Amino acid sequence: MEKIVLPEIKDYHLIDVYIKNGGYESAKKAFTFSTDEIIDQVKKSGLRGRGGAAFLAGLKWSFMPKSSDKPKYLCINGDESEPGSFKDRQIFEYNPHQLIEGILITAYAIQANTCYIYIRGEYHKWIKLLQKALDDAYSNGLVGEKMKDTFGIGFCTNIYIHKGAGAYICGEESSLMNSIEGQRGYPRVKPPFPAQNGLWGCPTTINNVETITNVPPIIKNGWEWFSKIGEPKHPGTILYGLSGHINKPGIYELPSGTLLTDLIYKYGGGVPGDKKVLCVIPGGSSMPPLRGDQIEGVKMDAESLKAYGTAIGTGGVIVMDEDTDLVKILARIAKFYYHESCGQCTPCREGTGWMLKILNRLVSGEGSVKDLDLLVSVANNIEGNTICALGEAAAWPVKFMITRFRDYFEKRVSSENILPVRNKVHSMRNTAISIDTEQN
Amino acid sequence: MATITIDGKKIEFKSGQTIIQAAKDNGINIPHFCWHPKLSISGNCRVCLVEVAKMPKLVIACATLAADGMVVFTNSEKAVNARNAVMEFILINHPLDCPICDEAGECKLQEYAYDYSVGESRFKEEKQHKEKRVPLGPNVMFDGERCISCSRCIRFCDEIVKEPQLTFVQRGDRVTIVTYPGKELDNDYSLNVTDICPVGALTNRDFRFKSRVWEMSTTKSVCTGCSRGCNSDIWVRNNLILRITPRENEKVNSYWMCDHGRLNTFKNINQLETRINGAFIKEGLSHVPTEWESAYRKAANELKKYAKDEIAFIGSPFATNEDNYLLAKIAKNFGVSNLDFMRHENPAFGDDILKRNDITPNSFGAELAGIRPGKNGFALSEIIQKINDGKIKVVYLLEDDIAESNPEAAEAFAKLKLLIVHSVNFNKTTDLAHIIFGAAAYAEKNGTMINFEGRVQRIRPAVALATPDKSLDGQKLSRQDKFGTEYDSWAQKNIKDALPSWTILMNVAKELDFRLKYNIAEDIFLEMSKNIDALNGLNYNILGELGVPVKDSINQPLAKAL
Repeated sequence: MEKIVLPEIKDYHLIDVYIKNGGYESAKKAFTFSTDEIIDQVKKSGLRGRGGAAFLAGLKWSFMPKSSDKPKYLCINGDESEPGSFKDRQIFEYNPHQLIEGILITAYAIQANTCYIYIRGEYHKWIKLLQKALDDAYSNGLVGEKMKDTFGIGFCTNIYIHKGAGAYICGEESSLMNSIEGQRGYPRVKPPFPAQNGLWGCPTTINNVETITNVPPIIKNGWEWFSKIGEPKHPGTILYGLSGHINKPGIYELPSGTLLTDLIYKYGGGVPGDKKVLCVIPGGSSMPPLRGDQIEGVKMDAESLKAYGTAIGTGGVIVMDEDTDLVKILARIAKFYYHESCGQCTPCREGTGWMLKILNRLVSGEGSVKDLDLLVSVANNIEGNTICALGEAAAWPVKFMITRFRDYFEKRVSSENILPVRNKVHSMRNTAISIDTEQN
Repeated sequence: MATITIDGKKIEFKSGQTIIQAAKDNGINIPHFCWHPKLSISGNCRVCLVEVAKMPKLVIACATLAADGMVVFTNSEKAVNARNAVMEFILINHPLDCPICDEAGECKLQEYAYDYSVGESRFKEEKQHKEKRVPLGPNVMFDGERCISCSRCIRFCDEIVKEPQLTFVQRGDRVTIVTYPGKELDNDYSLNVTDICPVGALTNRDFRFKSRVWEMSTTKSVCTGCSRGCNSDIWVRNNLILRITPRENEKVNSYWMCDHGRLNTFKNINQLETRINGAFIKEGLSHVPTEWESAYRKAANELKKYAKDEIAFIGSPFATNEDNYLLAKIAKNFGVSNLDFMRHENPAFGDDILKRNDITPNSFGAELAGIRPGKNGFALSEIIQKINDGKIKVVYLLEDDIAESNPEAAEAFAKLKLLIVHSVNFNKTTDLAHIIFGAAAYAEKNGTMINFEGRVQRIRPAVALATPDKSLDGQKLSRQDKFGTEYDSWAQKNIKDALPSWTILMNVAKELDFRLKYNIAEDIFLEMSKNIDALNGLNYNILGELGVPVKDSINQPLAKAL
């Protein structure tokens, strides 16, 4: 099986090895095409975004205005904060130059003279590794002003690594732009979309790390080659991340449409202790989970998973065996989204905390059947009413875990609501200044 | 013109308008917390979610551009459900302490909870706790728990005052508002955040806990803090002014007013110790209360003792057009040509938002009303000179503490044989006066003032005086007329015995054998509109609530100015 994104070549992350194996030839080839030709090829290849929404990459590029008196920007989203996702860091570590080459081609296609790679702050090690690779590319004249001479073209672009400060929300593209600008990581109201009004109000394209790393092979081998790999509607390979109750967790590059059962049993070595699978989240913690008895025949690509009421997300597969406490799992997932909700818009700000509080009660055995209905209702009230997709990310796990495992959850709650109202009167609380001072 | 349909009603909109703006211009209110017509769109409260035909998801009316033929539903099942959901979310962590909250009665959240929410909460958990009673600055107090994180206050400081002092910190339902490190919410307009705060999170430290809003009456007035003439509402309970808030007027002050005007233009009116109740005559070293009638007589008799060129009349940029006009008229009739008023310029006061260097409300009007030296008469600086020379021995002064703001004048006034003063409060000038008349403050009388741009605006009595105003709408909006009678106990309190300057002047003139017959302030204004071109054709009704510009004497017909 051919590996496109993470080829199994020793020391491929070193620039010499990368160049020896034909590295930066794709860029050279790309620069002989017109920008429209590149966008057209990527469109035809069917390359879809690997960051979660699986949007057509070429189509996204085509939204960029052809002529603009403002500078254009390219952002590479390496914030990778979704629990269960750890694919981009493999690229930073093992194939950084293909990413950089992909950036050069994309920047050329959309005519962006400045590119930012946004990497989550927790990835200290990988930021260093990528910076090393970027420095090497610069000193070899492959990036920046010198690339004009190296490639003999009139175009050049600069690439900067921007380190995130530890917020999940900054993986949302408009928050990511705010973060780069030095603003608080708040998503922007859309429209306007980034292609019209992005970084500093200028046209901007944001792509995932893995998406861009796919670009050089597409240019090198042609769009037809790429479009024939895996599922036709979602072609190419996908970096599947296996985690949870699995014998051989890790990143597996496999064609799209690989069977979920193959992923778990053939590549992942099955479940420890040969236990049954209770639940699988196929694409990172925000995606709707599948029941263990639902996974037979499920193909791992955007369209097939949609048919099963879930989504490919980031391809992070979390496997849970039959002894897993799903209530605790769900409470933990809810805690994550509660912790990471940016707090800008009402439904997510208030709803994530509410869901967590109910789930914590469920964990401590104080839940009732009514609470299950309430949880689903709260999740529904968040979904679709927020500024950004974190609303859905927070709502889906709760909504689908409870509806798909209703029997399981009902066993964990009492049939009656036993709760007293818990609100405390806060007149006796310590306050910033005493009432005496205030009266004076 | 392009149209959209909101709940079956077809309305026109201007290109570039959002749904909520188009609706507002056509008198349709789409509920909103974070949106404000003068601030950037933040789209965070989500309460303006509406359904638009052919759009898959609900959209926020504040950020969605109106498009020709768009069909909007604010009350479809989907829209109502979303609004109820958002209201429930906002309320789960809100303390619901309305009984002790200053905002109660004028709280957007309270209103929407009545209008748009289901009325009960499914929330049984403990609420999120945050800091309470945090002084953000000298004038504003913050309650983190009441805050609904709409960001209006932050945007106000950033965009209107252009002094970023507030920011969000934390995430999720821990989000709260703080000042930047080492900074306070301390700008000239900081109290506007308490007006635009849709809940009781930001309160006015000067006003908080003084009164429930529904116990106060409001009267439309104009701020006297500078020559901008910001439109204001005066809030009164028990005949005391408790606060002043800005009143929207796009031609003058938009939605805003400065902290100075809001805090420093009413306390002297309430202050019983320094208010001048009735008339006073100096006997020896002290001022003795006197009957109004005998004070008028005394003033007239004393004035008659001096030659006309020994007398100066000084008008006031703090007094109304009517007061100044009458002073000028009497001066002319009496034969006094030493007539002027003092300008108060403070170069450190003005800014490029609202505040003006001319810190008086009506210098434009004083001039227009004819307060200027007559033939062979002297201006103020010369009058002071002539007092020092012993040539001018008498000054009749209207509502201006000149001795306080001009030390030279104070020295000169001390040499006068006769100083007659109209004043609201005792001050340095009244200390020197021989006869003092207690004048009604701007919040106690009818009248007009003209701002620096030449906009004629009305003031109205918000506070009742011992002698009621005879005009029909005199105290229309005061609590006394709105809710009760003058015999109610609370209507008996804090009544001051002061009169509008024009009434005092009319009575003094009568003793000078100059009979004038004005029943109400508007009688004088109507006379002015006949005699002064710039005011031609105006009356109080035309001035209305927002005022009108004076007529350009050369080419602008009044109709256009209206």
